[in-house]
Amino acid sequence: MAERNPRVTLAGSPPIRRTDVPSRVVVVALLGASIGLLFAHQAYRTAEITLSGALLEAFSSDGVHVAAERQTVYFGLGSETPLGLRMTPECTSAFLVLPLLVVGAVMIALRPRIRQRVLVALGVAATAVVVVNQFRVLTLVGLVKWLGVDTGYYWGHTLLGSMVSVFGGAAALVLFVWLATRK
Amino acid sequence: MTSSLDVLLGFTQALALTMSVAFVTYVLLIVVPYLRHEPAPLGRPNRFEWHFLVPCRDEEAVIGDTIRYLRTHFPIAHVWIIDDDSDDRTAGVVRTVRRNGGQEDKHIHLVQRVRPHARTGKGDALNDAYRTLKLWMGRHADADRAVIVVVDADGRPAPNCLEVCAADHLFGDDRLGAVQVDVRMINTGVRQDDVSWWRRRTGAALVRMQDLEFRTAIAAIQMSRGVTGTISMGGNGQFTRLSALDSIAGPTGQPWRGSLLEDFELGVHLLTAGWRTGFTMDTHVNQEGLYSLRRFLAQRTRWGQGTMQCLRYLPRIWDSKHLSTLGAAEMLYYLAQPWMQLLGTLIYPIPMIMLGHRSATSPAEVGQWFADGAWILFAVYGAFGLMPFVLWGPVYRARCEPGVSIWRSLGYGFGYALYIYTFYITSWRALIRLIRGDNGWTKTRRNTDRVAGKVALDH
Repeated sequence: MAERNPRVTLAGSPPIRRTDVPSRVVVVALLGASIGLLFAHQAYRTAEITLSGALLEAFSSDGVHVAAERQTVYFGLGSETPLGLRMTPECTSAFLVLPLLVVGAVMIALRPRIRQRVLVALGVAATAVVVVNQFRVLTLVGLVKWLGVDTGYYWGHTLLGSMVSVFGGAAALVLFVWLATRK
Repeated sequence: MTSSLDVLLGFTQALALTMSVAFVTYVLLIVVPYLRHEPAPLGRPNRFEWHFLVPCRDEEAVIGDTIRYLRTHFPIAHVWIIDDDSDDRTAGVVRTVRRNGGQEDKHIHLVQRVRPHARTGKGDALNDAYRTLKLWMGRHADADRAVIVVVDADGRPAPNCLEVCAADHLFGDDRLGAVQVDVRMINTGVRQDDVSWWRRRTGAALVRMQDLEFRTAIAAIQMSRGVTGTISMGGNGQFTRLSALDSIAGPTGQPWRGSLLEDFELGVHLLTAGWRTGFTMDTHVNQEGLYSLRRFLAQRTRWGQGTMQCLRYLPRIWDSKHLSTLGAAEMLYYLAQPWMQLLGTLIYPIPMIMLGHRSATSPAEVGQWFADGAWILFAVYGAFGLMPFVLWGPVYRARCEPGVSIWRSLGYGFGYALYIYTFYITSWRALIRLIRGDNGWTKTRRNTDRVAGKVALDH
């Protein structure tokens, strides 16, 4: 029983929490980033659509133009079906990254020793969310080119886009939990 | 220029999506091990000393049968009836059964509480019994071999429960401090007499949902907690090693604490003290499901308020070196549930309200939007919103009620989705009680109790 008895504790006397300074800084930074995402989502969407433009240019032979001030990318320029896609607040990955940042901050605040692990998990999961959103845009463009504007946009934006968001979101969450909590 | 309404819509949609996706993923992760579960080998109950603790208040109608049931099915066990200063003849019934027609049954014990020290909560009643039991056992008793079982006054533990709990992977393992067994509703499929047709039907459906909830979703959650090391205790069918209780009792001899969720609280104290907890579906305890929606809402409000109160344990949980980060995260998720339900009631309606407003101002535009494919979005989100609940209907059929048709099981699934949505109501009620500092609850009402007035239920 000697092995088991170290558990004997006085009731109501949990160990005293000591959050180190770097952890506090990280928590504040993560919460600040969350608030920043909420209020500066336009800048985030501009960056996101600029990335989409760069990817489209890399994968497409038609002309691509990014109107950063309107968070819009035009593709298929020079072809018969040019189209502009706008990164709206409903389409951005900003608000999907935000809950991850808040949960990450809470985890570090509660258990400072896992700071590094949570930050890695956050980095990977946030990247996954961003990549999934870019994949959604590329899929939409591909379907528009393949099936035409009406049908391609219909399936690409409405159904496939939602499915990609749901499964991508699920994958990002699982990744986050797994990376942040594994031993 | 993006309007603030668009931002609000985007933000709430993303949050709703995240919360829904998190929940769907969680459900899919827990359902697979649940469906694959196989019974484990039994153990030898006579390796242990068993003590049933039965808290009672005005239980004259049921306590005699409960004592006889426990003594008949578990002759090696002691039965401790804790009379919380009943106004009826509860104590008298216990004494009569103990006299046993002149041949006193020394395995039946009565712990008599008297006001003003009585009726201060179930935890206090259990603590009284714990201290009395310790005195009765003496200082040199082997607390590692003694197991305390908390059972409701109308509880019926399955006859095999001691064999199951004595198994090598449960109390046979010295590191294990407590075991929670599966809970079933004894009145599933039994309809009330002397009530209207409508109440008979809705009452039976409500009991069915409680049975489905405990035997599928809660059991699956508990099994998944076997992986995270955070199996929690319930108020009925709770088995705890006496030495584990000793380790958390403190100088005042109080292993049970004062929150409205004293069973969950017990689990937190055991886990953070380094004990492991177990759960088994190989045996069960039967309890009465509630027919009355009003009493059910009162019960769930109490549970919600208790969960909210237990949020104070978060630092203790995350500071504990005995709990893994995954385990602490699981408990955080559990304790965050009522708060997420509150958030959900604020967030989920926003897109709908905005759509309603848009429909009223530009009906043609919204009609075209629907026809252009938005209906698919609604179908997808609707499916993701319902699927994690509807799924349990067919799962219930597969594991618990194979005689039920697949269509009926799907009906149960949809009923369960509706049943779960009541938590959005109870979480708000719990918050209001918490804000008001209203932490007291009146005595448990059973289905047979017909007295009008304030009700609350212990299960």
